[in-house]
Amino acid sequence: MSDMSDAIRTLKVDFDKCSKAGECYYNHPGLFMMTDSGYPAIKVRRPDGAGEIREALEAVDVCPSGAITVERG
Amino acid sequence: MPATTTTLTRPLDPREFDAVDFQRDPFPLYRRLRDDHPVFHDRFHNRWILSRYKDIEAAFQDSQSFDRAVYDPNGPYEFGRRHIFGPNILEYGNSPQHRWMRNVVAGQFVGERLDAFLPIIDMIAREVIATFKDDGQVELVSQFSSQFPIRVISNMLGLPREDEAMFVDWYQALIAGLGFGGEHLARGLKARNEMWDYIEPLIEKRRGAPGDDLLSRIAVAELDGKRMETIEIKGFVALLLAAGGDTTDKAIANMWYHMLYTRPDVFPEVLADPELWSNVFTEMMRYDAVVHAQFRQTTREMPLHGEVIPRGAGVILYLGAGNRDERVFDNPDVFDIHRQDLHMGRENRSGKYKDGKAGHLGFGMGPHFCMGYAMARQEASIGCGHLARALKNARPKFASHPGITSPSIDSGGFRSPNELWITFDPA
Repeated sequence: MSDMSDAIRTLKVDFDKCSKAGECYYNHPGLFMMTDSGYPAIKVRRPDGAGEIREALEAVDVCPSGAITVERG
Repeated sequence: MPATTTTLTRPLDPREFDAVDFQRDPFPLYRRLRDDHPVFHDRFHNRWILSRYKDIEAAFQDSQSFDRAVYDPNGPYEFGRRHIFGPNILEYGNSPQHRWMRNVVAGQFVGERLDAFLPIIDMIAREVIATFKDDGQVELVSQFSSQFPIRVISNMLGLPREDEAMFVDWYQALIAGLGFGGEHLARGLKARNEMWDYIEPLIEKRRGAPGDDLLSRIAVAELDGKRMETIEIKGFVALLLAAGGDTTDKAIANMWYHMLYTRPDVFPEVLADPELWSNVFTEMMRYDAVVHAQFRQTTREMPLHGEVIPRGAGVILYLGAGNRDERVFDNPDVFDIHRQDLHMGRENRSGKYKDGKAGHLGFGMGPHFCMGYAMARQEASIGCGHLARALKNARPKFASHPGITSPSIDSGGFRSPNELWITFDPA
C-alpha cells in the first residue's frame, strides 16, 4: 500500500456504480449510514487517523460494485 | 379496544402451529396472521409473531431493537442447536466478535474468491451427476442434492478429496439429527464427534502451515492478536455444513419440485433456456423458501399496529409469510418465474434495488443477512443447469407427490421434499 500518512484523504461514493448492496454501512457504521433509498450516506468525508483510514480502505475493499474510493486531497 | 369496534377476526389457536398441517401447508395460517393478527402474542409458546413483509423488513434492519442474540442453549427454543454445532457464531449477537467471525469467512463466498471457485463447483456437479446419468431414473434428494453442496464445502475447506464420502456421511447424519431429533439426534452427535476428531489434527496443521483454503483462513484469523480456540473452529465447521450445505441442498430439491409439480407448464421453457434457473431460484426463495422463520429478542419496548411488544420478548419473524404478503406481491400464491414485482437478480444485503422492486426475504436482510447468498445462487444455478442437460426428457416418476414439508418450521426446520423421483431418457 502506498504511503498514506500526512496527506488529506477524501472518501467518495460513485452513485452510478453503487448497487445499494449495503456492505459499507453494515461493516463500517462509523463512516457510512444507510439512507431510506438504500444508498449510503458518508458520515466522515475526510477520514483522519490510522483507525479511520484503515476502515475507509477496508470499505473500498468490501464494496462489491467498486463504487467507493479514498482519494488524496 | 374501543367498545364501538366490531371484531370480525377469527381467533387463532396457537396450538395450530404445532399441527402437522402447518408443517405441510403453513400458508393459510400465514394469511390469517397477516390479515387479522399482524402482531400476534402467542401466549401458549411465550412468543410474539410478525408476518407482514414491511414489519419483517423493519425488524431485520433494526437489529439494535431486535437482537439476534437469542441463541441460548437453555432457552425456550432450540435456536442455537448448540448441542449439535458446538459454540458458534450465531451465539454472538451483534457483538464486534460476531462481525469479525463473519468477515473471516464471508469474503470466501462472494466476488473474486467465489469466481475462482466456480470451476470446482462445476466439476463436482458433473461428478455427482455421472453416478446416475445412465440409470434412467434418480431420487434427486439422496443422489444429488444431499451430495453436491456438501462436497463443494468440503473442497472449500480444503479437506482431502479421498475423505469426501466420509464427510458426506457425517453431514447427512448431522442434518438428520438436527431435523428429526430422537435416535437421529444420537447418531448426529456421534457423527459430529467423529468429524471433530477427524478435523482436529487438520486444524493444528493449518495453524502451523496455513494454505489458501477456508479452514486455514479460520484457523489463523486474529482478533486483537488472538486466534479462535480449537472448539470454536470445530463449531464453525459444523455450522458451515448446515448453513452452507443443507440450505443449498434443499434449495435445489425445491426448485426441481416446483418445476415438476407446481409449474410443469413452465418447465419446458426453463429447459430451453438454462439462464432461467436463476429466476427459478429467486421465485422459489419467495414462494416457499428453505427457511421460513428467524428469531429475534427485543431490547426495548416495540409499539406496532396498536400492540406493544415488551422488552426482552422472543419474536418470530415469519419470512415465509412476509414473502406471500399481498401488500407487496400481486397474486402472491402463484409461482411465477417472470414476476414483475420481484427483484430477480442477485440479492442485496440492504434489500434495496435500483430497479425499485422488492426482494424476497429468504436470505433475511440487514446486518445478519445470509453470507452465502451469492454462492447459493451460483451453486443452485450451475447444479440445476447440468442436471437439466444430463437428464433428457426429465419428468416426475410419480404423478402425485406428498409435497414440501418441514420437521418443524418454528425451530428453524428447513422446508423441502423428503424424496423426489425423476425419470429420464438415459444418455
